[in-house]
Amino acid sequence: MVSAFEFVPAIAVLPLVSFVVALAFGKWMPKKGALAGIFATVGSLLISIWTALTVAGFLGSETVYHAELWRFATGIGTFNLHLGVFVDPLSSLMLLIVSLISVLVFIFSLGYMNDEDETGLPRYYASLSLFSFSMLAFVFADNILMAFMFFELVGLCSFLLIGFWFREDAPPSAAKKAFLVTRFGDFFFLIGVVGIFATFGTGLFATEAGFPHMAEQAITGEMPGPVGEFLSAVGMGAQQWFTILGLLVLGGVVGKSAQFPLHTWLPDAMEGPTPVSALIHAATMVAAGVYLVARMYGFYLLTPTTLAIIALIGGFTALFAATMGVVKQELKQVLAYSTISQYGYMMLALGSGGYVAAVFHLTTHAVFKALLFLGAGSVIIAMHHNENMWDMGGLKEKMPVTYWTFLSGSLALAGIVPFAGFWSKDEVLYEALIHGLGSPVLLVAWAMGLLAVFLTGFYTFRMVFLTFHGEPRSDTAEDPESVRWNVKLPLGVLGVLAATIGFINMVPVAKLTGLKIDFLHKWLVGGEVLNAEFLTGLEHYEPILKEVAGIKASYIAGGEIPTLLISAALSLGLALAGVGLAYRLYAVPEPVAHTKKLGGLRTLLMHNYYQDEYQVWLAQGVTLPLARAADTFDQGIIDGVVNGISSVSLFSGDRVRRIQTGVVSNYAALLTIGLALLLIVFGIVGGWF
Amino acid sequence: MVPAEYYLLLSAAMFCIGLFGILTRRNALLFLMSVELMLNAASINLVAFSLQWGNLTGQVFTLFLMALAAAEVAIGIGIILVLYRNFADIDVTKPTTMRW
Repeated sequence: MVSAFEFVPAIAVLPLVSFVVALAFGKWMPKKGALAGIFATVGSLLISIWTALTVAGFLGSETVYHAELWRFATGIGTFNLHLGVFVDPLSSLMLLIVSLISVLVFIFSLGYMNDEDETGLPRYYASLSLFSFSMLAFVFADNILMAFMFFELVGLCSFLLIGFWFREDAPPSAAKKAFLVTRFGDFFFLIGVVGIFATFGTGLFATEAGFPHMAEQAITGEMPGPVGEFLSAVGMGAQQWFTILGLLVLGGVVGKSAQFPLHTWLPDAMEGPTPVSALIHAATMVAAGVYLVARMYGFYLLTPTTLAIIALIGGFTALFAATMGVVKQELKQVLAYSTISQYGYMMLALGSGGYVAAVFHLTTHAVFKALLFLGAGSVIIAMHHNENMWDMGGLKEKMPVTYWTFLSGSLALAGIVPFAGFWSKDEVLYEALIHGLGSPVLLVAWAMGLLAVFLTGFYTFRMVFLTFHGEPRSDTAEDPESVRWNVKLPLGVLGVLAATIGFINMVPVAKLTGLKIDFLHKWLVGGEVLNAEFLTGLEHYEPILKEVAGIKASYIAGGEIPTLLISAALSLGLALAGVGLAYRLYAVPEPVAHTKKLGGLRTLLMHNYYQDEYQVWLAQGVTLPLARAADTFDQGIIDGVVNGISSVSLFSGDRVRRIQTGVVSNYAALLTIGLALLLIVFGIVGGWF
Repeated sequence: MVPAEYYLLLSAAMFCIGLFGILTRRNALLFLMSVELMLNAASINLVAFSLQWGNLTGQVFTLFLMALAAAEVAIGIGIILVLYRNFADIDVTKPTTMRW
């Protein structure tokens, strides 16, 4: 039988083909290239499903796949560089998420872009296809260099799509900002990649030849020869050096996943078309950072310092972004800050040893955040591109499909049982709590994450009530434009998923009843081959977590189940409190802005803690003078020396050329004089006289 | 037999006459003749040494030199013709444009 694994490269190649087709022929195609994209991503989705079934073991015994596709640089006496495919439970799950959201976003774009008579559609669909290609290839990358290459391509697509409406003022500048800020992080990532290749001589994520395993050996067992040589050349201990490498790679993660302090690009990225925000800035591209940490989790587990930093960044970002989301007036801005905040939770989970919790939250978040963004897109169509929530209100009766699906997504985001977000966020906080009881740093991160739950519930339902409830507050909201099937279909699919996808890993229920229904957990534990040969299974990670990272679980109130219940009750209670406060303040016919009561805090929040101003100051006050000084040094001293030398040559050349009179007799005379001089010199040297 | 020194003196004298011609004359035809004189002075040297050492190589070389001189004259005359066509004169100090 043909194995799905042989077709895995096609998952990425299909969108690449559609990129070429949309770019070259999109102008003459019906729907301007959308159909090419839809066909390609549906193809990718089908192969992804087939792959996932194979990984699950339904279609034969081979459940993990690793192959080298193309070696583009063969090293002589050193390592090779190649593109390769690695499919394990983690990457097959991510392939499924990315291709599913891509399909739905392509369909939604028919309603958001084609029906609104936008121009430049072939460019739009080509960029969207290129994005799907890069993201999918990033997901199945088997080595860190390939991951880096596609990580950068993803950033490029983000730039192209944020700046899609390049004739207006704001989008190009937002695109530049997004590109530069993420590039700043990627710069550290690049150094990290070089460092990893220099240290281990390989960038493979998995198998015993991969760098996580070599690093593990260097710390726990026998030092592999080349690593030992490199470490003694650097003059650092294994732990110390690996921490530096981990932090360098983390730079790229922080940039892409919009974590503090590199989160500032994401709210601005909302200038792009809304389907793009759904696909790129909520569900998939931003997930790339978190996914990368999960991909090389075996490496991060070896350095407790890095894990603690990841957890702290995550917890802090979750809280920090949530506070800013509370005061925003525009629909998409609220969603943007909630995205940053939710990715903070995933980082918190990864940092505190909750690998499954992070992947689970990644999955559910992809679904409900894509849903919320597409719902927001539907509202924006209805409101004729007015995004201010204070101009909306009362849309509930006029657009029921959007309302009910949006509500499903909001309940999931706020973490209300039994919607998807409850299960995953609860697991994140539970993992952070049980591991944090033994470590104050993790406990601080957990506390920040827990506080953010309340704020999440509040801002989510503030948004819902302002948008859909009460009386219409503008003429457009009185009579909104209707949306078609191509908007409602993706909303419906995601709405159902947002309500149900949490059931794939109901840990509290599983623990209470003893039923084995924590499917995602089992999925990530993987088979024997995964843990013994490829070393990316959960069974391989758990001992390292305990022994090397020193993160152990401890429980309060006498055991696992009481702790679980206390944690779930805390997060659910806080979420409900947030929702309740939002209900009291904003679920009235004529809501008023209560933010003024916050006083000085409001100004601070509206200005996003002056993060933009601070970064602009950093750029203009520090980097610019530094760059000027460097420029002066370059222009004055480096170039000055070069120019000085060349001006000496020029000047002397100008003088010397006057010998060339053009008169033949003068040349003959010079020749004769030269010959005579030579004869005399030879005579003296040769001793004739 | 006449000693080689005489031949060498003769050749040196011819060479100097040719050189003198090149350095002082402005007429291109005289230039060409002076060059011929210098070339033949060199040929005399070759023949003289050939005689001295009883070796025919020098004389054979001289035959080649004669052919070379003929070719050179052909080119030289050609250049002079072009010179005349362009400047209506064959004064070698006139064409000074072929420099920087």
